[in-house]
Amino acid sequence: MQYCDHCKVQINGAHLVCPLCGGIIEQKESAKEEEVFPQIPTIYQEFNVFIRVLLFISIAVTVISFAVNMIFTKESRWSILVAAGILCMWISLFFIIRKRNNIPKTIVWQVGLLGVLSVLWDASMGWIGWSIDYVIPSICVGAMIVMAVAAKILKIGVRDLIIYFLVDGIFGFIPIIFILFGWLNVIFPSVICVAVSAISLSALMIFEGDSMKTELNKRMHI
Amino acid sequence: MLMTRKKPVQWTRLDNAAKIFPPNTNEKDTKVFRFVCELKEEVDREILQEAVNKTIILFPVYRSVLRKGVFWYYFESTELMPEVVEEYKPPCSMLYHPNRRNLLFEVTYYRKRINLEMYHALADGTGALGFFKTLLYFYITSKYKEDFKEQLPNLDYDASFAQKMDDSFLKHYTGEKCLNKVKVTRAYRIAGRRSIDNRLKVLEGVMDVKEILALAHRYNTTLTVYLTALFMKAIYQEMPARAKKYPVVLSVPVNLRIYFPSVTARNFFGTINISYDFTKNKDDLDSIIKGVKEEFARELTEEKLRKHMNRLSALEHNAFMRIVPLFIKDWVLRFANRINDKGITATLSNIGKITVAKELAPYITLFNCFNSARRPQIGMCSFGDRLVISFASPFDGTDIQKNFFRMLSQEGVAITITSSSREVG
Repeated sequence: MQYCDHCKVQINGAHLVCPLCGGIIEQKESAKEEEVFPQIPTIYQEFNVFIRVLLFISIAVTVISFAVNMIFTKESRWSILVAAGILCMWISLFFIIRKRNNIPKTIVWQVGLLGVLSVLWDASMGWIGWSIDYVIPSICVGAMIVMAVAAKILKIGVRDLIIYFLVDGIFGFIPIIFILFGWLNVIFPSVICVAVSAISLSALMIFEGDSMKTELNKRMHI
Repeated sequence: MLMTRKKPVQWTRLDNAAKIFPPNTNEKDTKVFRFVCELKEEVDREILQEAVNKTIILFPVYRSVLRKGVFWYYFESTELMPEVVEEYKPPCSMLYHPNRRNLLFEVTYYRKRINLEMYHALADGTGALGFFKTLLYFYITSKYKEDFKEQLPNLDYDASFAQKMDDSFLKHYTGEKCLNKVKVTRAYRIAGRRSIDNRLKVLEGVMDVKEILALAHRYNTTLTVYLTALFMKAIYQEMPARAKKYPVVLSVPVNLRIYFPSVTARNFFGTINISYDFTKNKDDLDSIIKGVKEEFARELTEEKLRKHMNRLSALEHNAFMRIVPLFIKDWVLRFANRINDKGITATLSNIGKITVAKELAPYITLFNCFNSARRPQIGMCSFGDRLVISFASPFDGTDIQKNFFRMLSQEGVAITITSSSREVG
């Protein structure tokens, strides 16, 4: 064992300097003693290369489109749309990355997010109605199909899926409001969406009612 | 939708003390603590794995993952099994990652040492020690079967499943109204440079408990008071002149099982703050010891601990607090933690004397414990004659540690230092 003359302490392990005071300690032959802690190299955390490249491309595209817009097409403001599109992509990507460990949760978040974003786009481009005619009904149904398939492939258990299925099923009923208030130009996607939601929700209640109740109790306890 | 049925899922609420941990867990403060047991011989992985498998059956409460509900976090039982691996990451690394489902404790080994790392939301030191001792019991009695042919030693942790799961905060909550507001006075805060990967640096000093006891008795006090005072003095010596107007406040966790009957394997602790103001008092050791002793006498009473416990529980039972969504609770708890943190200089936790069945003692060299820390922090425990004082610090500097151990070595105490980090060379 080594000894530090300044600190007057014995030192375990092969050190060049005293771990307390940093002073030189006398090297002894017997210093090659057993290590008590394994030596673990410094862990460097870096952003994913993919994210960095994507971020760089986004900034470059936004800047270039603003520049081109200002030089050649002064009368229109299309570059704002480009920037908004890129911003929406990043909002969506942010939630995907944040919730990536829970696939059904990611899907439900995306349904909500894309629904809201599509309405915002539609409204800001002089309301045509494509967002509530097509986008919202189809992402609700799409999410249900994706969840069912993902659950089969990734072997996600019933109880980990059930709540998200329920939430998506409830989202699927929102188009009823559009139908009732007569906001729609094209009615069939919304009708299909509500029908599919009604069928899956009733299946959920009939076959998985008990699990759903425990699951709700667990997650909603106050 | 019809898939294979799993066992009905069990879930439990977090106890009162555990609630503060999940929102405040991050790379810089992982809220993980470690128990170490150094054996006389190198550890056998297979036997350790078997011992873990046997132990976990007795502690089903630890076989759970932490999840987010709409209003609260909760533990959910899991089918995951703990896997014993050789130590592969810096001490007290992250165990809880939001949205990830993994066990909240880990058993690792390195050469002669067995390490149990545990996420603080799951258990406190005393709770985890029950698990650790059971694990060691199974390991030693299986590794050295030959020696225990005639009779197996007794396992000294006696608690039913329900008792281990018990939320003792809830059990001892009286609902009495405590209106006295606690004002946080700003304490001196130690600053320093961190390493790139925020790793914890551990410096442990092994010494003879009898020598320290003799020293404490010479100052006419107890071991805890003596070492607390010494820690204060070590911090004071490094305080920049401008910061000397702030008091040094040490937070000391207290095992509430001593004051309120409980054998829970989960959290049941409170903390008291021991404060010393160097502007109003003298800076020699005798005066500090006197001050610290008075503080302990004032703070460490059943009455004060009960009041404190009730105040914290009342927050949890508050109707308004309960219906606030989790993400807002997270902000509130982060804010509360930051405020509370302003009033604390460092932490000193004394696990005390660790005992095992006398037949097992010959196989064990020492026990050691330390906690993840935002500032230099002391964890100490004794086993047999060996007292181990561990400094866990996120900072590169070791001046406080140096001051502390030098004061002891100057008194003639023989100390052996072990460091988790080694200079490159």
